[in-house]
Amino acid sequence: MSTSVAIEPPKSTTLSSRVLSFIPGVTLLAAIGYAGKFIEQSISHYGKSHHLSLPNIEYVLWAILIGLVISNTVRVPELFKAGIATYEFWLKVGIVLLGARFLLGDVIKLGGLSLALVVIELALAIALMTALGRIFKLTPKLTTLLAVGSSICGVSAIIAAKGAIDADDEDSSLAIAAILALGAIAVFTFPFIGHLLGMSNHAYGLWSGLAVDNTAEAVAAGALYSDAAGKIAVLAKTARNAMIGFVVLGYAIYWASKGQAQTVHNKALFLWQKFPKFVLGFLLISLLATLGVFNKEQLGSLGNLSRWAFLLTFAGVGLRTNLREMQKQGLRPFIVGAVGEIVIAAVTLGLVLGADRVFHLS
Amino acid sequence: MSGGKFNLSLDGWAVALALLLALLVRLNIVPKIPW
Repeated sequence: MSTSVAIEPPKSTTLSSRVLSFIPGVTLLAAIGYAGKFIEQSISHYGKSHHLSLPNIEYVLWAILIGLVISNTVRVPELFKAGIATYEFWLKVGIVLLGARFLLGDVIKLGGLSLALVVIELALAIALMTALGRIFKLTPKLTTLLAVGSSICGVSAIIAAKGAIDADDEDSSLAIAAILALGAIAVFTFPFIGHLLGMSNHAYGLWSGLAVDNTAEAVAAGALYSDAAGKIAVLAKTARNAMIGFVVLGYAIYWASKGQAQTVHNKALFLWQKFPKFVLGFLLISLLATLGVFNKEQLGSLGNLSRWAFLLTFAGVGLRTNLREMQKQGLRPFIVGAVGEIVIAAVTLGLVLGADRVFHLS
Repeated sequence: MSGGKFNLSLDGWAVALALLLALLVRLNIVPKIPW
């Protein structure tokens, strides 16, 4: 499994050669994503033409599965790796464009509710992971990274925290591996639980956004349930991502007070540096849509562009999940992460179902 | 994805591309996008 989340092009100086280095991998992402879409449509057409009631397996799942099979059998050649690493870039492009499908009032209403639930989820996740880390005798900094990864937004939060608390590479690799493995499991289990409980699209989407750690997996888990649930999952996850700076700042101050990290002098600048800027892009596009800048057809086009961007992301989620690499990681961080995630998923499920009763989310 | 004259973060590039696409759609430079 790759632990890299940043796009790392070959060491060349020109922008054009960097862009060229991405082409093979991005083409592979597009081919896998489109194959997933093609399989979904083909099964649906076959069922209709033969009057068969076949299960509708979404393109999201096909794209992830094809990616998983490729990365765990033939292994991806080096030539493709730079382009495959852009899956997170496409995720962010997709989220910003999805802003066009939300009126700003809805963003504030649902985002506000999400933020309130996020604060509860953050407090719970941090307390729980800290306790579990002590019980399983993990190093304090690995515990911090797991707490940050499970409470906010997975890999990017771990990367942000790693620099801020001066954690070592091994701890961050272990934390990232645990969070990614658990995210992959969540993609397959959450829709199943959602259907079992008969959850509404709103409630399920909110739950995915709150409980699934890595943004790509949270969006995939939402989209696997339904398009509407995918949209809500993006919104809830974006609200959660917006909290990254506050949590990382808290930990940076804690470790600096112990003399094990650099002191943060300018806290406002620190918060701005850690704030995920794509959230601002999402809000801007939502504002433009609310002001009527786009007509109905254009809003539809922007929504579809967002889905195409997510298609590349889902292919990347499968391609970067390497089961052999996962097995090499230590078992204890995975157990701590798994126990924590199950409790967090159960509590957030309770919170969402409670909010659904009070606010009638559907 | 930074360096040279185009020193933008990953988020910056993502927002820039999304806004460019939105502009192209708004100006009807790109045709209707199907799914």
